[in-house]
Amino acid sequence: MSQNKKFKRKATVKVLEERCKGCWYCVNYCPTKVLQVSEKMNAKGYHPPVFKENIDENVVCIGCHLCELYCPDFAIVVEELE
Amino acid sequence: MTEKHLKEGYYFWSGDVAAAEGAIAAGCRFYAGYPITPSSEVAETMALRLPQVGGKFIEMEDEIGSIAAIIGASWTGERSMTATSGPGISLMNENIGLAVMTEVPLVIVNAMRGAPSTGLPTLIGQGDLMQAKYGSHGSYEIITLYPNNIQEAFDLMFDAFNLAEKYRVPVMYLLDGLLAHMYEKVYVPPREVWEKKIIRRKRARKGQLPYQPDEDMIPPMPLIGEGYNIHATGLTHDERGYPDLTPQAQEELVRRLNEKILKHERDIWKVEEYMTEDADVIVVSFGGESRAVKAGVNLARKEGIKAGMLRLITIWPFPWEYITKYSADYIVAEINYGQMYHLVREYSDNDVYQLNKMGGEIHTPEEVLKRIREVSS
Amino acid sequence: MSQMTDMRKMEEEWLRTERLPHVWCPGCGIGIVLNAFLRAVIRRNIPKEKMVVVSGIGCTGRTAGYVNVDSFHTTHGRAIPFAVGIKFARPDLNVVVFSGDGDLFAIGGNHFVNAARRNHDLLIIAVNNFTYGMTGGQHGPTTPTGAYTTTTPYGNPDRPFNIPHLAISLGAPYVARWTTYHVNQLQNSIYKALNMKGFRVIEIISQCPTVYGRRNSMRSPMSMMEYFQKNSVINNKASYEEMELTYNGKIVVGEFRNVGGIPSYEERYEEIIRRAQE
Repeated sequence: MSQNKKFKRKATVKVLEERCKGCWYCVNYCPTKVLQVSEKMNAKGYHPPVFKENIDENVVCIGCHLCELYCPDFAIVVEELE
Repeated sequence: MTEKHLKEGYYFWSGDVAAAEGAIAAGCRFYAGYPITPSSEVAETMALRLPQVGGKFIEMEDEIGSIAAIIGASWTGERSMTATSGPGISLMNENIGLAVMTEVPLVIVNAMRGAPSTGLPTLIGQGDLMQAKYGSHGSYEIITLYPNNIQEAFDLMFDAFNLAEKYRVPVMYLLDGLLAHMYEKVYVPPREVWEKKIIRRKRARKGQLPYQPDEDMIPPMPLIGEGYNIHATGLTHDERGYPDLTPQAQEELVRRLNEKILKHERDIWKVEEYMTEDADVIVVSFGGESRAVKAGVNLARKEGIKAGMLRLITIWPFPWEYITKYSADYIVAEINYGQMYHLVREYSDNDVYQLNKMGGEIHTPEEVLKRIREVSS
Repeated sequence: MSQMTDMRKMEEEWLRTERLPHVWCPGCGIGIVLNAFLRAVIRRNIPKEKMVVVSGIGCTGRTAGYVNVDSFHTTHGRAIPFAVGIKFARPDLNVVVFSGDGDLFAIGGNHFVNAARRNHDLLIIAVNNFTYGMTGGQHGPTTPTGAYTTTTPYGNPDRPFNIPHLAISLGAPYVARWTTYHVNQLQNSIYKALNMKGFRVIEIISQCPTVYGRRNSMRSPMSMMEYFQKNSVINNKASYEEMELTYNGKIVVGEFRNVGGIPSYEERYEEIIRRAQE
């Protein structure tokens, strides 16, 4: 994880949890691994991903939007920092 | 470029040509079809005439594609039509159900041949009367009209399109092997006269949901390309048009689809009552067959038999009130094994007799007379 | 706000968000294709009232129900002729057929072939997941030979369609194939095709982990994506033989045909109207 420090933080990832079906494409395709499977469960019984920013200070979202592009459920919004 | 419209005057047309010209006069501007005897001259006339008035004609790869295309075109606001014969209707039936479910105005011409199957391609049959209403799966009502002469084949097209647009429903326009290929003189009035007969679709009120019915049970139809964000599906749906797969939604929708026609049946019905007032025997008939029936009734009258003819111009919804209003016996003359016979029997308290031919030709007036004699003796 | 963030916001306006979550299974690729499609449409600045989406029946057939434009969920196999009617009546509209492999190539095969021949001005988004998903995973016209489905319990004896080959042979001016792994290439391909005329076909190899993958040793969504990733080869100049799909074999993707200047049916009919009114 320490290698991520060479990147500048560019965005945060918002998860629309009720739309998530737990395929984990976002978790898998994130080049800097900012998402992880969460413990909580949504109404449909799936575990939505959680943005690790607040848990792990090494996490750096580079704003590539890949998670958003791969999400089949329109459950992810990447918000770029000003 | 200038549009070429029909001029006032007398024309010598076949039933197919008259139906096509009637459709164009009634505002039809989109036709998709697949050739089939005895309806092909409808397509040929449309191919020639539609581009002359700025309309569109397309020959599709089959009848299924043809009806799918006219459903799509109708959503853009075009008065749309196809024409075929029984085998083609068999192929179209699934999409007739879609048009019923999504409430799309269409006119479908069926020039009936002898049937079942390929049957008698060039000759008359009247075996598609039940198919006209019951062809697609599910409980539904559609409108079916059936002229019996070439002038009427032209004139009745206005009713066909107007009813389709008014009730957002497919209208089956029956011809038969006899009418389709028979030539008669047709009078076409001036354009300004016939254009006044055209009834346009009602438009949605602001904020009205796409399947939210007015008091008459008919939802105004939004059109493609106007920003309504229409969604239409053959699935059971709510007033937004979104799928709602519950018994409650099914109950509400299917009841309304049937009742929007049945509650207005008196507005739709058209019949010809010929010497029925004092009749002891009424021959019920329609289409090509009714021409011989009228002659047969005239022969009976000459012999002093009080015979009459009830000609159904509206086949569906069935004009049952014209059956219940008479206390005569009935003969149902039809070119099939017996279809409308069952409807007449359902509504008549008196005796109902059959007069059938399986197809290929209509009865002779003498055969009609013979049957009238038999039942009135 | 960046362009990408704006696009994500606009995407919500193009979706019937009140209907989300959609019906598709966890990991189903159709949502990825829809996502790419909406982004391409937004990049093209197509006004919503000028876009029409028509679908047939099946899993992909449900797409029309989620796109917040004039959208039609029709009968099985009939999306193309339905769209033909719309486009021919209103040539100013962008009409897109968004449907699945069974719908477009088995029950709707005749319409695909003839609409391509006539070169109707339609964009065909053909999602190929190798199976009939909605009905429980039977084999279809694109199931690779040897694959296991509920109706090929001993392996599929059929030969699948080679869709790009089919489309090219019919004269389609734009033919491409991608997988759902190729999210950017797919989006760019749709973006390019949206600006072209005529019968444009984009085949997207998509994953159905629920009923196809699990019978063919790719039970999880990710395992199907990994298969696409490992086996895809980009080759725009691929031969027809190379475009063929085999069971667990290479997936040749790319932009196989891109030619302009072929008049569409709708354009040719304008000339018919002119002649008729001379």
